[in-house]
Amino acid sequence: MNSPLATTAQTIDLSQRSTLGEYSDIAGAIGLRKITSIIEEVPHESLGTITRATATAVIANPWLGTGTSHDLSERTESIAPLLAKLLSDRLLDALGGAEKVEAFGKAALVGLEGELEHAGALIHTPYFGNLLREALEGTSIICFVDGRATAGEQLRVPMWHKTSPATRSHYQTIELTVPDAPHAGEIAVIAAASTGPRPHARIGDRTTDRTITSEILKGITL
Amino acid sequence: MNYRKLVTIIEETNTEGGRQVDPSARVVIVAAVFDNPWAGQGFVEDLTEGIDKVASDLGALLAPRVIEALGAPLEAYGKAAIVGLDGEIEHGSALIHTLKFGNHFRDAANATTLLPAVEKRGPAGVQFDIPLKHFTDATIRSHHQSIEVKIADAPHPGEILIALAGSTQGRPQQRLASLSTEL
Repeated sequence: MNSPLATTAQTIDLSQRSTLGEYSDIAGAIGLRKITSIIEEVPHESLGTITRATATAVIANPWLGTGTSHDLSERTESIAPLLAKLLSDRLLDALGGAEKVEAFGKAALVGLEGELEHAGALIHTPYFGNLLREALEGTSIICFVDGRATAGEQLRVPMWHKTSPATRSHYQTIELTVPDAPHAGEIAVIAAASTGPRPHARIGDRTTDRTITSEILKGITL
Repeated sequence: MNYRKLVTIIEETNTEGGRQVDPSARVVIVAAVFDNPWAGQGFVEDLTEGIDKVASDLGALLAPRVIEALGAPLEAYGKAAIVGLDGEIEHGSALIHTLKFGNHFRDAANATTLLPAVEKRGPAGVQFDIPLKHFTDATIRSHHQSIEVKIADAPHPGEILIALAGSTQGRPQQRLASLSTEL
């Protein structure tokens, strides 16, 4: 039932396959320790239910012990697409499909023995970002947080509108804690999505703002 | 059943102790956050009315969601009651330590044993651990486990957070001798 992590290379087609069922081949290939999905449903008077979710994959840091001049591209290209696939499958399952997703975000936390650049490598390249964006049917740049952290760190992942990032109503964050991760030699990679805006968004938008500059400081009313 | 939010957590463990876990070990938690039915009433001697109003609906809300999110037969389970700072721990206990609540989960999971529980009072975002035990024989050692939970922004002082947890298996690399070998 339990075997050492797979080390032999093989080629598979993941384009039509869901990873919600069996995925031990992928888990073994990327040193996956766990995936935690958190789904938050908030009833709303007029919008129905707003569902927000995060999916977090915790993997062994593939660059442990390498120096700051080490080329990260090879492992980035092999690992980041699999992370995007695992995480987007879970977000889409939680939110009811890409057509329900309105906002998205991402994050990576590298454990204490890793380099901040290792976290960035797994989320800031097209091998992750483009696949996540395509799966969630967005066009925006995906907003993010990253950092180095100890196990159990609390973080807030920012999200904004998936096709219109300047849409103010969709600026929001989702708070999460991943217990027991990342260990010092691990990286936690997170994708987040929401089916709606902030619950009672009412602070206007770029289209409704009048022109505001520092000129307003000349007529401040206290 | 009115609630402020409902949170589902699905944890899939693929590696433990450096060895792959195949199939992945799944633990699911479903938690509801709602107004404490006894909020603002001072010391209520008889909690029956609040229990009757909430406990059964709460079990009916949470139990099927755990089963659905597990996606495979349940083998271990547990529950939690986390009371906001203005309430009594007794309020949380009242809602989970009644057959009106627990039988929804037992029936949905074909389970027979009592549900192990954590009861606690704390601020929003308080961390707690839910104990789980085997669903038909609480002495089966391989299934003794717990899952750590922290729900952002809940419970508020006047709220209660109630959760059910289920698992499709025992601990990922369980390898302890059974209780019977020591008796």
